[in-house]
Amino acid sequence: MTLDVFKTAQTTPSALAGGVFGVPENSAPAIEVLGLTHDFGPTRVLDSISFAVPRGTIAGIVGENGAGKSTLFNILSGLLQPARGSLRLREKDYAPRSYRHALEQGVSRVFQEQALIPALPVYENLLLGHERAFERGGFRRHGAMIATARRIVDAAELDVDVTGETGSYDFSVRQSLEIARACLFPSLVLGISDPVVLLDEPTAALAREEEAAFFRLVRRLRHHATILFVSHRLTEVLAISDSIHVLKDGRLVASRLPAEVDEDQLHRLMVGRARGVDYYSQQQGPIPVDASGVSSRPVLAAEGLSLAGAFEDISFSVQPGEIVGIGGLLNSGKTRLGRAVAGLVTPASGTIRIDGDPVASIRPESMVALGVGYVPAERLTEGVIPALSIAWNVGLASGDRLTTRAGFWRKQAESSLATRAIQDLRIRADGPARAVETLSGGNQQKVVIARWAARQPKLLVLDNPTRGVDAGAREEIYAILRRLAAAGVAILVITDDLAELIGLSDRIFILRDRRQVAALDAAAETKPTEEALVALMLGSQASSLSASQRVS
Amino acid sequence: MSTLANAPDASRSGAARASLLARWRSLLPVGVVLLLIVVFGLTSDAFLTPRNFTAIAGQASTLLIACLGASFIVVMGSIDLSIGAVVLLTGAASVLTLNAVPIGAGAVLVGFGLGGILGLVNGLVFAFGRIPSFVVTLGTMSIFSGLALRLLDGRAIAYDSAAFETLAIGQWIPRLPNIALIALVLWAVLVVVAMQTRFGRYVFTIGAGESVARIAGVPVRRYKIYAFILSGALAGIAGSLAAARLSAAGPTLGSDLLLNSLGAIVIGGTSLAGGIGGVQRTLIGVLIIALLDNGLNLNGIDQYTQMGIKGVVIIAAVLVSQPLASIRSVK
Repeated sequence: MTLDVFKTAQTTPSALAGGVFGVPENSAPAIEVLGLTHDFGPTRVLDSISFAVPRGTIAGIVGENGAGKSTLFNILSGLLQPARGSLRLREKDYAPRSYRHALEQGVSRVFQEQALIPALPVYENLLLGHERAFERGGFRRHGAMIATARRIVDAAELDVDVTGETGSYDFSVRQSLEIARACLFPSLVLGISDPVVLLDEPTAALAREEEAAFFRLVRRLRHHATILFVSHRLTEVLAISDSIHVLKDGRLVASRLPAEVDEDQLHRLMVGRARGVDYYSQQQGPIPVDASGVSSRPVLAAEGLSLAGAFEDISFSVQPGEIVGIGGLLNSGKTRLGRAVAGLVTPASGTIRIDGDPVASIRPESMVALGVGYVPAERLTEGVIPALSIAWNVGLASGDRLTTRAGFWRKQAESSLATRAIQDLRIRADGPARAVETLSGGNQQKVVIARWAARQPKLLVLDNPTRGVDAGAREEIYAILRRLAAAGVAILVITDDLAELIGLSDRIFILRDRRQVAALDAAAETKPTEEALVALMLGSQASSLSASQRVS
Repeated sequence: MSTLANAPDASRSGAARASLLARWRSLLPVGVVLLLIVVFGLTSDAFLTPRNFTAIAGQASTLLIACLGASFIVVMGSIDLSIGAVVLLTGAASVLTLNAVPIGAGAVLVGFGLGGILGLVNGLVFAFGRIPSFVVTLGTMSIFSGLALRLLDGRAIAYDSAAFETLAIGQWIPRLPNIALIALVLWAVLVVVAMQTRFGRYVFTIGAGESVARIAGVPVRRYKIYAFILSGALAGIAGSLAAARLSAAGPTLGSDLLLNSLGAIVIGGTSLAGGIGGVQRTLIGVLIIALLDNGLNLNGIDQYTQMGIKGVVIIAAVLVSQPLASIRSVK
């Protein structure tokens, strides 16, 4: 099965060499991507990507987290300059220096976060940043602005009063406004025909019925603009796209017409990864929990945890020495669940038990005192203080041990603690006084783990522990986590990386739409497949497929 | 091979250069002090005299004591605008208490205690109300000043206690007014607190990375309150001693402290963004402000022009220290 996936991946590039496929000859490409390559440090995030999108069509771009979709969009919208490769816009060279520069050439982007100002009337938001075009003698001609905004709203067939306050419309309407602005503003105001619009997960926050309205809007707007959109929801990608491009690990592994593929095939193209990739340490297997460990009471027991808008009725437990993985899509609620266990967000209801005792006050300092450590996903803002030394960063959580009775800080003890961590976790640094900002991402992450390892924690919660970490350090971090587990630490790993989720975990929980949808055994001999997990995360009909795959 | 061997060296020399630059920047205030001494020494005969240095020490002391606690607030990434108002209220309360109960030098404890309570009020509202410290202390500045002016009824109130007076203007060490001696001792103690204690470490850490500290289990809220109590208590000591030095508490007590305290802290090299600098640097900042005041006075430059010059110096100090801050955030 894996072989099959691999073969598809290898054969497709030739199929897309022509770029335009199955689309009428007369539609020239609106945008062409030619051999785009980009690296972040040692990691290649885009690897010679080439494709073209014909004018007036919709291109869906799919891939796992970290496949390179955002980087591609960042380059197209001028936020990032590629290391190699080039772009062509309407058959002319296109090398945007900045977002503004891209905008001036008719390439705009609708971000996941809304960029409208709620307190302003709709028409001002629709023309935001271009008010000067409506000024005469220093006075703003509101009448002209309103008229122009009406043309945008009418062309998009939206039922919106442009003089109304933007904040009074609900989320989906505001999003429609943003998309309408992106598609229509260039042609109606700037006089650019054939603008290109990049939509970043446009439906992630929409309810199902709002999605239908969104589809209709995008189909209408296709006459005004060429649209590229990124989405995790494969059904909608299939329903709306004229062509679909699949990214995986920075490569374009397939370009397909929606008629040629179904959802399952897309899944497979997205996640099919050659087994035996160095960090996929399945063969190593989890450290078996000894007989006494299994029967002992769990270190962490979560019972019916709920927080409105974040997660609902979640129950699970982690035994000493066990690594439990939590997977799910971006807004599945898994990150907030991890933060709740770390005491950073307080669940509205439910109980967290540590060693069997319910935690009365769920706050970070009390969780730390109970032996819980948290390694956040945002390393540079929440994990380490980059300007300070390794010793300072490692000792930060051990104030109880590093303070004398009189309240003095034991710098010597802190320094030797850090020296030991540098040796034990093999942090590449010449000493504990070295500033953390001079270390590589992987070594910074080891500093965060060392902070907790120094306390001999009972439970370690990690959110995407190897994001932005190169392959070598990744393996070392996995080895560290296994070692901690072998020493009896209960470990909870929340991750977007499927290989990591499967390879590292003894058990896996999947969250979808804030709810717990599956619990899977993931011992070495019963590892689930990536496809099966994705199907559970997406909650599509593909779950039947995954069952058959697990049998094979 | 050679490139492999070179790479760490290159990065090391880059880091060394950056740290050299940082060291040069942190020494800059010392250079400014020397420059001011040379310039004023040349332009005024009265400047370089022991008598004048005694005067500078006396004038600078209230400012220094008031700035000590506030430095912790600034390094924590917050701000305390109520310093001047705390000085006024505690100064007034000390004198009124002394006139009611003959406690002599013990009046300074009134300032210390009341100041601590006022700081606690700031800290509680800030930490539990989740209101920016700028807003909290802007409000309490007005409240404390209003209270103080009510107490004083808008007049200066004198006291009569030789012991209290000696505490400020006596000279246990010849040529060094006691208030300056106390200020220097307090400064030394607080430098140790900043550099060697858990309190100092946590306060600095909160300024450098509050969310990191929180996730690491540092009781951020509690330490924020502690820092505000410290700031209030020291401003309280400053208020008492200032009243002792002037032989009275009047409505203008502490009125120049809002500008001077923040100015001295920033000029010393503590970043308003927090996590850079600290109380050890504040001494130099206070010295610069005091030398400026004194030297400009001796040169016959009027009050209003002085205000302008001081403002320019403060902005220049921030401009010079800014690259350091941006290097830090970029990396």
